[in-house]
Amino acid sequence: MAPSSSTIVCPRCRSTTTSTRSKSPVAGVWTVFGCDTCFYTWRSTEPDVNTNPDKYPEVFRLNPADFLKLPEIPVIPPLRQKTSS
Amino acid sequence: MKCYKDFREFLSVLDQQGQLLHIKDEVRFEPDLVSAGAALAQIGDSAPAILFDNIAGCIDAQVAMNVHGSWPNHALALGMDKEASLKEQFFEFVRRFKLFPGELERVPTAPWQEVVVEKDINLFDILPLFRLNRGDGGYYIDKACTISRDPDDWDNDDVENVGVYRLMVQGPKRIAIQPVPQHDIAIHIDHAEARGEDLHIAISISNEPIILLMGATPLLYTQLEYKMAAVMQGEPYKVVKTAQGLDVPWGSEYVLEGRVLARQRTLEGPFGEFPGYYSGGHRYPIIEIDRVSHRKNPIYESVYVGRPWTELDFLQAMTTSAPIFIQLNKMFPEVVAVNALYTHGLVVIVSTRVRYGGFGKSVGMGVLTTPHGLGYAKFVIVVDEDVDPFNLNQVMWAISVRANPAGDVVIIPNLAENLLDPAGVPNGMSHKMILDATTPRAPDRRGDYGEVLDTPEQAEAWRAKLLPLIKALKK
Repeated sequence: MAPSSSTIVCPRCRSTTTSTRSKSPVAGVWTVFGCDTCFYTWRSTEPDVNTNPDKYPEVFRLNPADFLKLPEIPVIPPLRQKTSS
Repeated sequence: MKCYKDFREFLSVLDQQGQLLHIKDEVRFEPDLVSAGAALAQIGDSAPAILFDNIAGCIDAQVAMNVHGSWPNHALALGMDKEASLKEQFFEFVRRFKLFPGELERVPTAPWQEVVVEKDINLFDILPLFRLNRGDGGYYIDKACTISRDPDDWDNDDVENVGVYRLMVQGPKRIAIQPVPQHDIAIHIDHAEARGEDLHIAISISNEPIILLMGATPLLYTQLEYKMAAVMQGEPYKVVKTAQGLDVPWGSEYVLEGRVLARQRTLEGPFGEFPGYYSGGHRYPIIEIDRVSHRKNPIYESVYVGRPWTELDFLQAMTTSAPIFIQLNKMFPEVVAVNALYTHGLVVIVSTRVRYGGFGKSVGMGVLTTPHGLGYAKFVIVVDEDVDPFNLNQVMWAISVRANPAGDVVIIPNLAENLLDPAGVPNGMSHKMILDATTPRAPDRRGDYGEVLDTPEQAEAWRAKLLPLIKALKK
């Protein structure tokens, strides 16, 4: 399923592929959001540095274009040849 | 020795022993829970565990932290007196470790099967998840056992694995897992991916206190953690088999069952890690959860990971020291004790009898060749047998008067080091240092040592007499 677009911007990667993950069992106290591009998660009641894209610290920011440059761990092994029995 | 049947029984023992603080005031997930965890770590090494059950926005969420986070709690986890010294805990841990293997006891049902969720799973609704450090990429399950089997050797219990890996919850039923290539689960994932198959796993959260310690112990690939837990608790370890054939602790609060998706990776991190620094982003395997089971009114357990010392350092203390001691002792029977408490053994202190000049340095080199030493031990301090390696005042005294930098510091260049050590150059490589603080022995005739002071002969008896008097003074 392709990530859907939302009006909520991810504080970390600024994508709009975000959705509501959970709402507080006591109505109206907090909402948890998540980003389907960088998988950042945040709660509405967290400080600005975690919830506001303009206040999110530069050092922790992510650019989706860089994802594939990150190391793949563990390395995916070659597929074994299937032996006929 | 004591066999706790489940997480709740251990919490109630902590409570009876004055080692559990129940916070009834309303708290917020962020920043209260981790702030309290950090504060307990600062308060010292006798701090209690903490239980929150009045969390803003929640109806019945319960979160326990710092459960292993002090020496009294660590001693109680081992079923020892809560005042047992570090040295006593070390020797008892080693004694039981050498009794391996114990036995598994398979039973058909467990309390964690009371509530089962198979449809519309949403981990964010089921688990009271929260942020640990402000730069973390998301909410982590960081104190759980992940259980897996080898798809190439499925029925072999001895290669079943129970490990503690960081788990980032990324979606309603999606988790990213960090399997370091040296860890046993990485072998299972590798075999499954070579076959092109998903790997079935189970994640158990909030357990009796021993199995998590075993999951954090560097055991051999063929040593099953449950069989080590059995000798640690003095009774067979009780497990329940899942439909997929994985053995899960009987005493868990939550059990998540799912699959590591074959040949897929996802962005994971950063996460505040044990050296006190964030580890950056990686592409790690993905777990999809198919089923969640839990007790009624479950209690969720988490560990605060921050700048050391925190609870994590207690979890990695004896579990790191004991295997190094046992391995080193095979090579050097003269070794008395090993303290690898500092940052998962990046610093190791060894006390040993010294047979002849230069012996201390050889023991230091021995540490560097143990399996854990290969990837961690960066500073090795060697002291004589009359120095308690767990007593830093004594260790500092030994360094002060028994070591001369001219001949007692050995630096070995460019050895392998843990990737998470931020000082590595390049990452994963480091020089290593042995500091020989043992007294020179013939034919090493350096220094001018007269007679060492001893302790007055009645000091032990006076200690026993004075301690209760001092305790009474404080009442």
